[in-house]
Amino acid sequence: MSKRRRDLPYGTLDLLIMKTLETMGEMNGYRIARRIEQVSGDALKLSQGAIYPALIRLEQEGWIRARWGISETNRKVKFYSLTKAGRKQLKAEVEAWEQANALVARFLEAAL
Amino acid sequence: MRWRAPIQRLLALVRRRRLDLELEAEIEAHLEMAERDARQAGLSAEEARWEARRRFGGIEQIKEEHRDQRSVRWVETRAREFRYALRTLSRTPGFTAMAVLTLAIGIGATAAVFSLIQGVLLTPPPYKEPGQLVLISSDRTDGQQQESPRPWPAAQWLEWQREVKSLQSIAAYGWAFNFLILPDGVESFEAMLVTREYFSVVGLEPVLGRKFLPSDTAPSATPVCIIGYELWQRRFGGNPNILGQTVRVSRQDAPFEIVGVMPPGVRFLPAPNAAREPNYDVNALVDIWLPIAPGPNPEALKRPQWSIVGRLAPGFTREQAQAELALITARQAQADRDFAGFAPKVQSLTSEYNRDGERILLPLFEAAALVLLIACGNVAALLFVRGLGRQQEYAVRAALGIGRAQLFCEVCIESLLLALVGGALGAGLAVLAVRAFKLIGGHTVPRLDAVTTGWPVLLFGLGLALIAAILAGLFPAWRASRLDPNEVLKGAGPRATAGRGERRLLQIVTMAQAALTLVLLVGAGLLIRTMINIWKAPSGYKTSHILAMTVTAVEGNWSDFHRRALDRVSTLPGVQSIAFAWGVPLTGNNWTAHVIIEGQPAPATQNEAPQVPLRSVTPGYFELLGIPLIEGRDFRSSDDDSAPQVVVVNSAFADRYFSGTTALGKKVWLFGPDKAPGTIVGVVANSRTDDLTRQASPEIYLSFWQARAYSKHLLIRTEADPLSIASAVHTALREINPYAAVEHIKTFDQIRNDSLASRRFAMQLLVGFAVVGCLLTLVGIYAVLSLSVASRRHEIAIRITVGAEYRDIRNLIFFDGFRLIAGGVAAGLGGALVLSRALRSFLYEVEPSDPATLVAVAIMFTGVALLACWAPVQRATRMDPMKILRC
Repeated sequence: MSKRRRDLPYGTLDLLIMKTLETMGEMNGYRIARRIEQVSGDALKLSQGAIYPALIRLEQEGWIRARWGISETNRKVKFYSLTKAGRKQLKAEVEAWEQANALVARFLEAAL
Repeated sequence: MRWRAPIQRLLALVRRRRLDLELEAEIEAHLEMAERDARQAGLSAEEARWEARRRFGGIEQIKEEHRDQRSVRWVETRAREFRYALRTLSRTPGFTAMAVLTLAIGIGATAAVFSLIQGVLLTPPPYKEPGQLVLISSDRTDGQQQESPRPWPAAQWLEWQREVKSLQSIAAYGWAFNFLILPDGVESFEAMLVTREYFSVVGLEPVLGRKFLPSDTAPSATPVCIIGYELWQRRFGGNPNILGQTVRVSRQDAPFEIVGVMPPGVRFLPAPNAAREPNYDVNALVDIWLPIAPGPNPEALKRPQWSIVGRLAPGFTREQAQAELALITARQAQADRDFAGFAPKVQSLTSEYNRDGERILLPLFEAAALVLLIACGNVAALLFVRGLGRQQEYAVRAALGIGRAQLFCEVCIESLLLALVGGALGAGLAVLAVRAFKLIGGHTVPRLDAVTTGWPVLLFGLGLALIAAILAGLFPAWRASRLDPNEVLKGAGPRATAGRGERRLLQIVTMAQAALTLVLLVGAGLLIRTMINIWKAPSGYKTSHILAMTVTAVEGNWSDFHRRALDRVSTLPGVQSIAFAWGVPLTGNNWTAHVIIEGQPAPATQNEAPQVPLRSVTPGYFELLGIPLIEGRDFRSSDDDSAPQVVVVNSAFADRYFSGTTALGKKVWLFGPDKAPGTIVGVVANSRTDDLTRQASPEIYLSFWQARAYSKHLLIRTEADPLSIASAVHTALREINPYAAVEHIKTFDQIRNDSLASRRFAMQLLVGFAVVGCLLTLVGIYAVLSLSVASRRHEIAIRITVGAEYRDIRNLIFFDGFRLIAGGVAAGLGGALVLSRALRSFLYEVEPSDPATLVAVAIMFTGVALLACWAPVQRATRMDPMKILRC
């Protein structure tokens, strides 16, 4: 009943998924999860299943779209890709992220 | 894109099942791919499956989060609780039916009266911005009641039209009654006489044709009329080519050309000067509009019979208009003594329009609301008692970690569900009730014919359901959420008992119910006493076995028709006696004269002589109605135009003007000192002719053959059921004269009942409400006392073992019940003293605070309520103490 505690700052997973889809193109859920794991290495402690709630949220917002396709194990599975609105959103979020990063970095430096 | 996600989420509620399946498929595919990758990395089949699952995380947790993420969680939870409540309620059909029915009765009663209020009071007349319309009459400046409306606004309105700034426009109108002569018979109609300005003042546009033009009232113009939508439909079949056709109207030489048709639903504006006309019905739909034609004399527009309506100028209030008119009048009063002592009265049309309706509907609405409150009390008690039975369940769930808020919500939703079903059922009941009201209500509630039941009633019913849910559900819900699981679970087994404090609270609810019921019963009692008082009041005439109808011969020789009619109808089988009369009791009479009476001081002008109502009757009328002749003689058929004028007076007249001497042979001048006087030849006993609740006042009767009445009643005393000869009479009259309008065929008993209809309607409804409220309260008392017995059974068992007698136990419980009832009765008497005042205008010879009624109702209710204690008392005295104490 209680909200699941996240290991990532809120919204980070969304950003990772959208960035992955931007670089890699259309992918299914498993491949997205694997790709995020590979890129982040050991830095990220994330159960793979956690991307599904994020995916439905992004889909409902209209930033990614899903279509049914066939997996490498010959099963029906959803393939996700970024929409036009998603690209715009990603760009805006990356900018916001960088700004916040820069601000925090400056602040930490100054505090030193 | 902001709206996109919320919509998707709502959609997800509906697609719940499909989305779940889709997610499951995705997860399975995910695990399969992960497993394959792990195998390829060199793990065994078993290890690979385990590794895939480990890295995926908790599957159920993910599914739950997915659900939360994609949809509106609040709605899903409530929906689940709703389903849960539905299941719980359907498991206890008896309880559910009881609660739903109780609520349905309360909601139904209230919604039914509301739909009357909605149709009668809240539906504005079909004028443009009716709130801006005002009626202008006059008022005495010394604050006293005026005997009859002073007509001077009519004398002034033309000047006002020019001068007054607070009124945009002003028009004069009047009421008229006449007969249409159509090819297939004669039909009476009510018409509005209006000045040219009228339609633009009230804002009526014809649906067909045009309004009146200045040329319509020129002396040489062809007479024109505008007809009402309903007459157009009824008499002319909605003929679209009606314009230009002519209709003949009795007593008018030239036929009227129809130039327009008005929209449906237009009723009369109050015309106080015509209020006592026998056929005046302010709530009727207007059949015909005729222009007030001044003819060669423009002063005709100022005749005192006109009433005045105006429209406030934008930005002005009724008070400002009143002040402005008062100023002008005060100025005129200095010049003209006629205006002195009077001030204009500016009334809002809508408040005048609604006055009769409010008088009857608001008290009834109050009564219905009381029934609803009583019903809510019962349902609260039911829910509460049921909550006691489920304490264990609540406690277990609370111990398992269910939140207080959720328990609270659950119980609330249960009562909401009950109330919604009750509300829907109640709205259905309301529709039936409104039909019944229309059936028994008749003319008692103005414009009842326009009442319809539709969405507003259903919505109102559901709104009431929400209120009822809150009233009935809040306390039980609060209690369920406040349970201490430790305390409950420590107690043994499921119990249906309540603690002292809770019992007290329930007792207060029941006392409140008893109090409300008493208020209803007192209201019903007062109205019943009123009806009995009226029944016992000496009317002065007999009403049984009399058939009455209005008969008007619009063409042909007047006295020939009436003499032949009397001859012909009196020979019909079953007819005992027969008479024509203008001014039959209880049918209205506006015919009066200022009478100069022999032996009384001569008044300065005729207008200062006493005003006395006149009636015109044929010989045998008094005998037919059973009005005894005290002195002198009845009229004779020879008392006609060729004989000297004779009159009969009632004993109130004789007592007032000739006390100590005989009235016989004295002279009265009815039509001025220069006209021939009438000689009093008889004195008849008093009778209540205007209203059964009003003492007789002085009256004068004229001989029918000397005082011709155009529209009048034919009264027939019959041997058997009066209505059985109605059609024979009708045929006979039409044979004598095909242009005889025979209308309003009723028994005299019906006329009598109709005159009491609004009182009877109020009484019937109030008695109905009181009985329902009473039953509900009895159920409530029974339930509370039963609970009390169950809760105290240990105590009672101990009392029995230590030697308490049957009588002691009986008294113990009876006393409990009596305290409950007595508390309710005491509070109810207080409430009744306040609320019964709303009924004042319906009461006759009984005060709203009538002690006899209050005491009688209190004793009766206490007696009946103690009967409701009987079963619980029996249960208490039949307990087996050993069985109770052992467990």
